[in-house]
Amino acid sequence: MSIITSIINALPGAVAQGLIWGIMAIGLYITYKLLNISDLTVDGSMCTGAAVCVMLTIAGMPLPLAMVCAVIAGMLTGFVTGIFHTFMGIPAILAGILTQLSLYSVNLKIMGKANQALSVRNYDLLVSLQYIRNVPLWKNAIFVVAAFVVVLIAILYWFFGTEYGCSLRATGSNLNMSRAQGINTSFNTVIGLMLSNGIVALSGALLAQYQGFADVQMGRGAIVIGLAAIIIGNAVFGKIFKNFAFKLLAVAFGGVIYYIVYQIVICLGIDPDLLKLLSAMVVAVFLAIPYWKKTYFSVPKKGGNQNA
Amino acid sequence: MKKIISIILAAALVIALSACNQSSATYTIGILEYSTHEAQSLAVQGFMDALTEKLGNEVSFQKQHASGDANSATLIANNFVTQNVDLILCDNTQSLQISAAATATIPVLGAAVTDYAQALNVSLASASTGINVSGTSDLAPLESQAEMILELFPDAKNVGLIYCSSEVNSLYQINSVQQYLLSKGISCAEFAFTDSNDLAAAVQTACEFSNVIYLPTDNTIAECTGIINDICHVAKVPVIAGEKGICSGCGVATLSIDYYELGKKTGLMAYEILTNGADISKMPIEYDENCTKMYNKEIAEELGITVPEDYIPIE
Repeated sequence: MSIITSIINALPGAVAQGLIWGIMAIGLYITYKLLNISDLTVDGSMCTGAAVCVMLTIAGMPLPLAMVCAVIAGMLTGFVTGIFHTFMGIPAILAGILTQLSLYSVNLKIMGKANQALSVRNYDLLVSLQYIRNVPLWKNAIFVVAAFVVVLIAILYWFFGTEYGCSLRATGSNLNMSRAQGINTSFNTVIGLMLSNGIVALSGALLAQYQGFADVQMGRGAIVIGLAAIIIGNAVFGKIFKNFAFKLLAVAFGGVIYYIVYQIVICLGIDPDLLKLLSAMVVAVFLAIPYWKKTYFSVPKKGGNQNA
Repeated sequence: MKKIISIILAAALVIALSACNQSSATYTIGILEYSTHEAQSLAVQGFMDALTEKLGNEVSFQKQHASGDANSATLIANNFVTQNVDLILCDNTQSLQISAAATATIPVLGAAVTDYAQALNVSLASASTGINVSGTSDLAPLESQAEMILELFPDAKNVGLIYCSSEVNSLYQINSVQQYLLSKGISCAEFAFTDSNDLAAAVQTACEFSNVIYLPTDNTIAECTGIINDICHVAKVPVIAGEKGICSGCGVATLSIDYYELGKKTGLMAYEILTNGADISKMPIEYDENCTKMYNKEIAEELGITVPEDYIPIE
C-alpha cells in the first residue's frame, strides 16, 4: 500500500482526535480570547476530567452521568484558579500554574495510581479508537464528537448572547470600563474560568474513552495544543468566519488541522522526537504572521490622518 | 493563509510520493515504541532479531517512536490499524492500552510490559487475557528481590522504597516488596517523587531514614542513576535495584531479568501467531524464568560489602 493511501485511510482517526482536542481548544478560547487570560489550569483539569469519568464509570455509574460529574470537577478546578486570581490577588498565569501543580496530586488521588484503564470491551463507551471504521454512523467517533462540538457551540452562542454573557465578554475586553458599568468583574472572571475548565474536562473525559485509559501525564502540554488549534483556526478561517459561533467552529477545525498535519508527519516517518519542537514552531509562526502583516505589509488607510 | 496551508499540504504529499517504497515482505509488523528506556529498546531489539532469524526477508518492521507522548502514540496506532499490519508490538503499558483500544482484531503483543491485568482491566485467571492481546512481562520475581535484601543485609531495620508517582508499575512493585518485608518484621517507608526535578530530594530523605534502599524497575529512576549514586555514595546507603541497568548505575545488587531474551521470547510468540495461526487470546503471558543474581563490583567494594559466591559481577 502506498503511503498516500495510508495517509488518506488514517485521516478519520486524526479527525476524531483533532475534534476532541478542538473541544478542549474551545474551552481555552473562552479564557484566552474572551477573558484575555492565559489559563494554565487546563494542563491539569484535562486529566481531572478524564480521571473522574474513568473512575466513576468503573465504579458503576452510567457513562453520561460520569461525564457530567467530570465537567463539574473541571469547573471546580476553574473555581480554584479563579479564587487564587481574584480573591487572593495572584497573577492569572501563576494562579493557573499553582492549580495545575496541585492537580497532579489530586488526579493521582482520584485514580489511586498513575494510570487507569477503561476498556471499550468491558464498558459501553461513547467514543473509541475502534469506532472509526465499520460501525454505523451514529456510533462513529467522528459523528459523536462532532455532535458534541455542535451542541457545545450552540449552548455557548446562546450563553454569550444573554445579558450576563455580554457582561462576561465586556470583562475581558475592558476590565476598568466594565467595573465602571457596575459589572462584578471578579465574579465574572471566576465564572469564565469555571466554564472554560468544565469544557476542558469534558474533552478529557472523551479523550480517556477514545484512547482507553486515563493517565496522570495526559494533559501535559495541553495548553500548547489548544493554543495551536485557536491560532491555526483563526489564521485559516479568520477571513471567512466572522460570526461568534463560526469563530468557535474555526477553533475546532484548527484542532483537526493540527492533528491531520501531525498524522501526515507520522505516516511519513519523520523522527517524532522532533514533534514537540515542530509544533512549537508552527504556533510561533502562526502567531507571528498577523504581527508581521501589521508591521511590514500594512498599507495606511486613505484619510487615516483626518479620521484619527 | 488558506493558500499557504494548501501549499504545505501539497508539498507534504509530494514528499510522501517520493518517499513511497513498497516492501514485498509477507508479514508487516508495526512496532509502537513509547518509552525511551534502554531496557525497553533492548526488548524490542530482541523481538526483531528473533523474528528476522525465523522469517528472514519475509518480515518487515515499521518502527515508530512516540517519545513518551500519548497523542503521538494514538496517531501511530491509528496509522498501523489503517495499514492493516499483521501484528502490533508495544513496549509499555500506555502503548499496549492504546493499541488494544485501536483494534479488536489485529494481534497485539507486549514486550516487557509489567502488568497486563491492570493495563487492560482484564482478569488473568487463565494466564491469558482472553482478547487479542498477549506478550511477555518484565515483572521480576519481586519476592526473591525482597529476599535478596535480607540475604545481603540481615541487620537492616529500615528499608526505603523510592519510586516515581507517575509510573503505575513502579507502585505495583513497591507494594509487593513492601508486603514481603513487612511480613518479616522490617519497617518500610515509601518515598515518591513526581519527576526528575524532585528525585534528589526524595533520595536524600530516603537516605536519612533507611539502612537499605530498594529501587523498582522505573523509567525515571533508570534515567537518573547518576544523581542517585552521588547521594547514596555520600550517605553510604546501599541500593538494591529492580533490574540490571539501574544496578550498574547506582546499585549494589539486583536479581535481573534479561530484556533482550524477553524480547526474543516475544518474537517467538509472534512467529507462532503469524505462521502457525496460534490463537493470541489463549496464549498465556510469559515471564523470564532465568533470573540471575548480579552485583556491581565497584560499588560493593566501596561500601565494603562481600556478596555470596553465586552473584555474577555486572560488566
